[in-house]
Amino acid sequence: MSVCAADRTQLELQIEMMSFTSDSKVLIQGITESLGLIYASRMIDYGTQLVAGVSPGHGGQEVHGVPVFDMVEQAIASVSEIHTTVILVQPYLVLDAALESIAAGIRQLILLTEGVPPLDMVHLSRKAEATETLVVGPNSPGIIVPGQLLLGTHPPEFYCPGAVGLISRCGTLTYEVALELTRAGFGQSISVGIGGDRMIGSSLQQWLQILDEDEQTEVIVLVGEIGGDSEEAAAQYIAEAIDKPVIAYIAGRTVLKDSAITHAGAVIASQVADLSTDIGTAESKIAAFKQAKVLVAERPSQIPDLVKKALQATAKKGN
Amino acid sequence: MDLLEYQAKELFRQAGIPVLPSQRIDHCKDLKGLKIPYPIVLKSQVYAGGRGKAGGIKFVENTIDAVAVAQAIFNLPIMGQYPEVLLAEAKYDAERELYLAVVLDGSSRRPLLLGSQQGGTDVELTIQQIQQVVVDQEFSPFYARRLALNMGLRGELIQSVAAIVEKMYCLFVQKDLDLVEINPLAVSLTGNLMALDGKITANDDALGRHADLAALRAQMPLRTRTRSAFSNLNLVELEGNIGVLCNGAGLTLATIDLIHKAGGKSAGFVNLGRECCYNLPSTQFQEHIESGLERIAQARGLKVILVNILGSVVSCLQVAKAIVSYLQRQPYNHRVPLLVLRLAGSDFEPAKAQLAAIDVPVFDALDEAITQAVALGKSRLV
Repeated sequence: MSVCAADRTQLELQIEMMSFTSDSKVLIQGITESLGLIYASRMIDYGTQLVAGVSPGHGGQEVHGVPVFDMVEQAIASVSEIHTTVILVQPYLVLDAALESIAAGIRQLILLTEGVPPLDMVHLSRKAEATETLVVGPNSPGIIVPGQLLLGTHPPEFYCPGAVGLISRCGTLTYEVALELTRAGFGQSISVGIGGDRMIGSSLQQWLQILDEDEQTEVIVLVGEIGGDSEEAAAQYIAEAIDKPVIAYIAGRTVLKDSAITHAGAVIASQVADLSTDIGTAESKIAAFKQAKVLVAERPSQIPDLVKKALQATAKKGN
Repeated sequence: MDLLEYQAKELFRQAGIPVLPSQRIDHCKDLKGLKIPYPIVLKSQVYAGGRGKAGGIKFVENTIDAVAVAQAIFNLPIMGQYPEVLLAEAKYDAERELYLAVVLDGSSRRPLLLGSQQGGTDVELTIQQIQQVVVDQEFSPFYARRLALNMGLRGELIQSVAAIVEKMYCLFVQKDLDLVEINPLAVSLTGNLMALDGKITANDDALGRHADLAALRAQMPLRTRTRSAFSNLNLVELEGNIGVLCNGAGLTLATIDLIHKAGGKSAGFVNLGRECCYNLPSTQFQEHIESGLERIAQARGLKVILVNILGSVVSCLQVAKAIVSYLQRQPYNHRVPLLVLRLAGSDFEPAKAQLAAIDVPVFDALDEAITQAVALGKSRLV
């Protein structure tokens, strides 16, 4: 459950190179697919510098004025620089698309596609770690930096710029929380959905550390759900390493754990017979956060109150 | 997708993992043509664990006993499951029993090798003694030897057990599995190894590239097919009167939580899935919502349907249109559940106007929609 030393050094490197700003040059792999077409236009509308698209066999075309290439290396040769790729290809093609981008020198990958086989993610993770590549997802809504750029499916009208860093394992629930914050007058520095699958490229801990170092972020809101042990691991990490206040919300308190209603999220615990069956329940996660002195919201609409409280406490400390 | 023991053992055999001679028994009369010499063991082929303790695994010495015992096992439910098949297997004298498994570990994003010298039916009691080895880089047999050594094995067993682990790992990768488990792996007095029981879980997302495993799924009786509650507009029923139609797992869970917190009870839910469901072009989202409404309307005890749909591709107006179209299609005088809508987004106002025309309340704050749904659930007017 703990973050190993190798992870930490890699994290530090990622923070240094992480660039999610309005200057970021962005690529979409799978831009001619139906979802690629929709999200390309939304990202452009938000002001994201979408400089190229890749769809094998569609080289030479244009999508919303963006040039389409057959391969990532051609796109880079043509537009000279790409910081981030948003991958929207079919599940079994995600690994190849990601490896193609890494080979071409792109070091920030956002995987939106749902249903990527976990062993493909094992393969990708080995490559990503060796090349110091940041991978978000799969099955992720991506990233939005309000007022600057959109890399995924977040509805921009739910967001506004501010100081709350939002990290989530969920998709639409992330939007819900963003909307509550925005309506209460708390803007966001960034919102990242790390993906609902068991095998994902970057963990809650990695993003906690990134936001702990991020100058725009004053308070972190973590949104989780039942299943898996990632919230428990994150709670432990917060107690050990995070200085900024963290507020957590966990979905799935009322539903029985056996009713198979989580994402693919599961740990060895649930796979190997009867191995510590407590892990993964809402109780286990909430207890872990409380032990780490993290404020846990009872409902999404309570999050802004807790954010306010946390900011006031920080301000007092500052004085 | 979980495989039954006999299916798992077939894969073990193909992978070169030693298994006993065995025969699939579909009917008691199959025992008359048994090709394995007695004594044998008869094993109930169900997905549930704890078969031995439940009486689903029995040793028999002759055909007469075998038929009687087989009949009993066919009629014995284990955790509510009746076997459709039994496995007849040769008996094996084990001197020791080991536990071995390969799983995926989300924290390290790597496969994990697991092993213990305390294998057998009481493995859960000795979970603390299970050794773990993370397969950090490309697999090489030394990872398996490291596991064997950590398990406390010495001498020849290091190599022989490691060889089994290597074969398990190859199977794991080759077939895109979530779990390969051998428990127990029997060690005979002479040091021979035998996989006496095995469990395999195939990854549902990868079934599309493994025709052999997908074929096993097709053979399964419908009720035992493992399906995610979040695929194919599955209706998951709970005990209450408010049905939830939502998009996304986390939001669905949160909505149900809020209903319960407000003193209501959910009758069940249908999750439409996130917009990134690869197979669903956004143009079909309206139909998708209508199908979802039809599914949730089937929940037992339903009085109210709370629709909570958020997203960037599907607009409030599209949801409103789907609701209008659904209601229009209901036969005249047909009792339809009350609807409460929660929508948010730039075209909320026009959507609200459309829905007001047909008397469907719509809220842009989730808490308000919940309060309304719970109040309607408790009212006697329905």
